[in-house]
Amino acid sequence: MNCRECVEHLYEFLDRELTPEVERQIRDHLEDCPPCDEQFDFEELFLKFLRARCRTQGAPAELKRRVLRELFGE
Amino acid sequence: MAKTPSPDVSPPVDEKRASFEREALVHLDVLYRVGLRLTGNPSDADDLVQETMLKAYRAWDQYEKGTNAKAWLLTILRHAFINEYRRKVRHPETVDLDAIEPFAVFPEVQDDDPQGAFFDRIVDDEVLRAIDKLPDAFRETLVLSDVEGMSYQEIAQILGVPVGTVKSRLFRARHLLQTKLYDYAVEMGYIKGSPA
Repeated sequence: MNCRECVEHLYEFLDRELTPEVERQIRDHLEDCPPCDEQFDFEELFLKFLRARCRTQGAPAELKRRVLRELFGE
Repeated sequence: MAKTPSPDVSPPVDEKRASFEREALVHLDVLYRVGLRLTGNPSDADDLVQETMLKAYRAWDQYEKGTNAKAWLLTILRHAFINEYRRKVRHPETVDLDAIEPFAVFPEVQDDDPQGAFFDRIVDDEVLRAIDKLPDAFRETLVLSDVEGMSYQEIAQILGVPVGTVKSRLFRARHLLQTKLYDYAVEMGYIKGSPA
């Protein structure tokens, strides 16, 4: 696998959407190619950062009460 | 006199309620987060989630138990949003998605900050604001994937588009968001560079 093919699969790889075979080819390429490896790391860290920043919010307690009241008359 | 069994095939109310609580209500936080990003404000998100739950409860007999309740609920939420809220809370989409060619941030920061440490200085609210500015089609795809961790197949099902469309929207949405956050970081002096 060359650099272009590897980078084309970047997000599918990070999203765990590839077959084990293609995943293995990418891992092999990343081991031998520091520039691609660095780019994959950057994107992986970005996705982790995004998730950490956005998942702190949950439904307000009042909304939970409102839904229960509406559905079950509580 | 012994009670005659009801000919009704639908489950008793208690059972319906128990399975709804177990499989649907547990996703309230997910629905709220997605609803908030779709509508852009807490009050509309509350109403949208409330309406989604009512519709879901009414249609609960049609949901095949033990399959993918989260995807099923998000499909209902998105339809409710499109039908009743989009016109009210956001302007109709006039953006040509294909014309958006996001700039790649990594080559810009590769030498000074290859780990993207500047991202860590950006607070939650700023990230959410940047997500809210993405075009609708990009925003919903990115939220389902990056905030809620859904698979391409699940997202395709919820949005009613092919998996290839999910991939390409996700690629461009992530890069567009990176560009927005990078520009903000440059503006704030978190990283050297010129805004894209």
